[in-house]
Amino acid sequence: MKVEIYNALVARSAMTRRGLLKGAAGIGGLAALGGLGLGAGARPALAQDNLRAEILKIPGVGAGSPTDADWQKVGEMCLGPTKANVAEGEFAGVELTFMGLNNQNLHNFLFRGFLKPWEAYTGAKINWIDLAQADYNPRLQQSIATGTVDFDIVEMGAPFEGDTAGQGLLDEMPDWVKAQIDMDDYVNYLKPPVGTWDGKVYRITIDGDCHTFSYRNDYFTDAAITAATGLTAPPTTWQQVNDFTKKVKGQKDPLTGLDAYGYLDPLKGWGGFGFYFLEDRATAYVKHPSSPAFLFEPETMKPLVNNAGWVQAIQDVMDAIPFGPSDQINADPGTTAFQQFLAGTGSALCWWGDVGSMAKTSDTSVVGEVTGFSINPGSEKVYNWQTQAWETPESPNFAPNMAYLGWGIYVTKNVSGDEKKRKAAWSAAAHLGGKDISLWMAAYPSGFQPYRNSQFNYDEWEAAGYDRAYIEDYLGSNLDSYNHPNAAIEPRIPGIFQYYSVAEDELAKGYAGQYKSAQETADAIAAAWEKITDQIGRENQIKLYKASLGM
Amino acid sequence: MSDTGDLLHVVTNDDISPGRQAFGKAIVWASLALLAATALVQTLDRTGALPIGLSNWRPTLYAYVLFSICLCWSQVLIRGEQGKRVLFVLPAALFVISLVVFPLIFGMMIAFSNWNLSSPDGRQFNGLDNVRQMWSDPFYWNALGNMVWYLLAIIVEYAIAFGLALLLNAQIRARKFFRVAFLLPLMLSPVAVSWMVGKSMLEVRFGPIANLARFLGWEDPSFFSSPELARATIMVLDAWTYIPFMMIMILAGLQAIPKDVQEAARVDGASAWRGFWEVTFPLMLPVSITAILIRIIFKLKLADIIINLTSGGPGGATDSVTSFIYREYRDRSNVGYGTLLAMVYLVLIIIFMTILMKLADRWMRPKY
Repeated sequence: MKVEIYNALVARSAMTRRGLLKGAAGIGGLAALGGLGLGAGARPALAQDNLRAEILKIPGVGAGSPTDADWQKVGEMCLGPTKANVAEGEFAGVELTFMGLNNQNLHNFLFRGFLKPWEAYTGAKINWIDLAQADYNPRLQQSIATGTVDFDIVEMGAPFEGDTAGQGLLDEMPDWVKAQIDMDDYVNYLKPPVGTWDGKVYRITIDGDCHTFSYRNDYFTDAAITAATGLTAPPTTWQQVNDFTKKVKGQKDPLTGLDAYGYLDPLKGWGGFGFYFLEDRATAYVKHPSSPAFLFEPETMKPLVNNAGWVQAIQDVMDAIPFGPSDQINADPGTTAFQQFLAGTGSALCWWGDVGSMAKTSDTSVVGEVTGFSINPGSEKVYNWQTQAWETPESPNFAPNMAYLGWGIYVTKNVSGDEKKRKAAWSAAAHLGGKDISLWMAAYPSGFQPYRNSQFNYDEWEAAGYDRAYIEDYLGSNLDSYNHPNAAIEPRIPGIFQYYSVAEDELAKGYAGQYKSAQETADAIAAAWEKITDQIGRENQIKLYKASLGM
Repeated sequence: MSDTGDLLHVVTNDDISPGRQAFGKAIVWASLALLAATALVQTLDRTGALPIGLSNWRPTLYAYVLFSICLCWSQVLIRGEQGKRVLFVLPAALFVISLVVFPLIFGMMIAFSNWNLSSPDGRQFNGLDNVRQMWSDPFYWNALGNMVWYLLAIIVEYAIAFGLALLLNAQIRARKFFRVAFLLPLMLSPVAVSWMVGKSMLEVRFGPIANLARFLGWEDPSFFSSPELARATIMVLDAWTYIPFMMIMILAGLQAIPKDVQEAARVDGASAWRGFWEVTFPLMLPVSITAILIRIIFKLKLADIIINLTSGGPGGATDSVTSFIYREYRDRSNVGYGTLLAMVYLVLIIIFMTILMKLADRWMRPKY
């Protein structure tokens, strides 16, 4: 869990010692029942439940931030699966190098604590390469480009799989690891093909990501606004969102009394990440249920970004500009979320989960009690790139945007030649991606979001001391997106952020009126994408793109 | 000891044997041959023609160090005391060559390569393709065009800096306080300026400057909404940071002018304006030109405020060459093209500055 989300949940739960004890007592009671013996068949399950409840008590929700001692304790308690596959002292003399992040003193810091008992048990030693987020991409890319991959285990985002797995730099996951980490428990969108290349599995997932739709409930109850917009419930399609955005102009915000605005589009680039926000609109138009592709044609890598569906999305943004705040042209996604939406400007946006949690706790947020969540809006019509025609489905086409695919742990080819070292690397990675340890990471500050179906068992959260209503609200919108059958899943091809970055530059020109139309803007993006594809190598990109789509 | 030649500066007149000279020449040529051979073998290894599995270029580096030592030693062997004199400079020169010339050569190699870090093919020489791409790249030319606007702003900055320097040079109250106060913006990091001023004080809804503008009758004080306004705002923020720098240089110049020159002009009946325009300003020209040249160099590197505030927008209106190269290099891992853009920019800067300095030199030369 991210720090701010944890703080939000703790604040929301208004955790008291009594509440904590109540939860603990319940768990203790269950443990006692288990001790009485409810039948041999129930014992392993209860022992498992007991472990999950026990680790959630470290250090206790609302009892301050966990420390290294807590991480080590959790790591020790979750060693069971490791012990089942590795003998004590089996990796004596093995040294591994682990490269990861040091964001917010989490990530690698947690891993160190979790892996300390693993090192003590197995006899292996781990050396650490800690990187700041900003240094991560250049370090990884330079290691790959210069052939100096000096790490055995790497914490990496799925979008980089094209740069690593696609270039044969990763080691394939052994079957015993798949069993140890229970991969069937992953939410749908993180199941293969994510984490795989050419049918081979490489990734141990430790995180999940997606965009959800956040909106202001009070805009649908305020008399003046509802009279103007005709909407008494949140919009569920982009057509409704666009209509609402236009009609709400001229009204006053019920909370701040300032001018009211509808949906907030970030119009300024954000190092490539800004493109996700055009995708939020576009996926509903262009992600047809019959194909996983929505950015490129899989057989040719011809960009789809200038087809009618994408152009419609760009046109929607352009049409909304006159109805948005006056300085919107200079608003990046960070501005729309933290300076606008949370500060009471605008009534809807698509973002990662941070907005939901910060709405409740951030000092600058004024919208804590009036914010609701759902999956991203759908569309009444969907463009089928294969038939090159618009279709009107019976119900709107929803395609939630799985923007960035979360972090995973990967093992590099460096260990492939040494079976002992290889097993050690995978064992360490599997320890971090274990089912029980992941529940703890989802419940406490770790930098990681839930990514397993088992993490959405709200009873466990409630027993641990969380407020049930809020946890259902917070996790529910994510779960609905994660498991959506038509989720738009990011292609994991080399240089994917290069495509996004250059698109941001062209979109900025389009939004500033330097291109004649949305179509011309989209054509400029497509031309720039073609250049990147040619530069990186078209044939290889096609191969990797198809592999990433599982085709 | 010889009784001819440079007797004044020679301490010991060496009697160098032909054998010693031959040895000196031999070690130079031998170490040079070793360096060339090592470099050749490494190149062949790298290209795959002679795969011997060298993991880095350290052997060539060590051969270069050996060659440098032999070259220095040979100077003494061959030329005696004259050679010892050379040793005062030669090691430093070799060091500079290693740090400047070699990286420049590598930089040029990268600039004429197709090298996208995401490409599995690695770096490939592509001749003038990057130049051609640059020639037809509207973003680069747009950024260069913006740089002209940014540079023109220096004229206004100079005028303001001169005015402030004159004020601080006058007998005003709390002069020392104002000198420190006026210098404060220069002490701030441009990143801090862009966040504190650009993103907070100029924020359209709650920023105090925006509120003041609203109070003064500007209905929608949005400082980055139109291309012209956004560019002007960037200029103002950059000027606010660096005007104190020009001001302090000009102030130092003003204080160096003898007071009797102005007094003589006043005795001759010159008005305050003529006293400034005919006496002070011409005397300040050398300082002014230096201040402006240094300011131009700073301005050509303008990037941090833009990256933080506008990312070059709206629609590229505020993009500087450096901020564009930053996006090309960092966000798109386009190392070859990004390096070429930087190299071309460097050449343009050198040409521009050379012309400017020649003109300044001609302008400042006494006319009489």
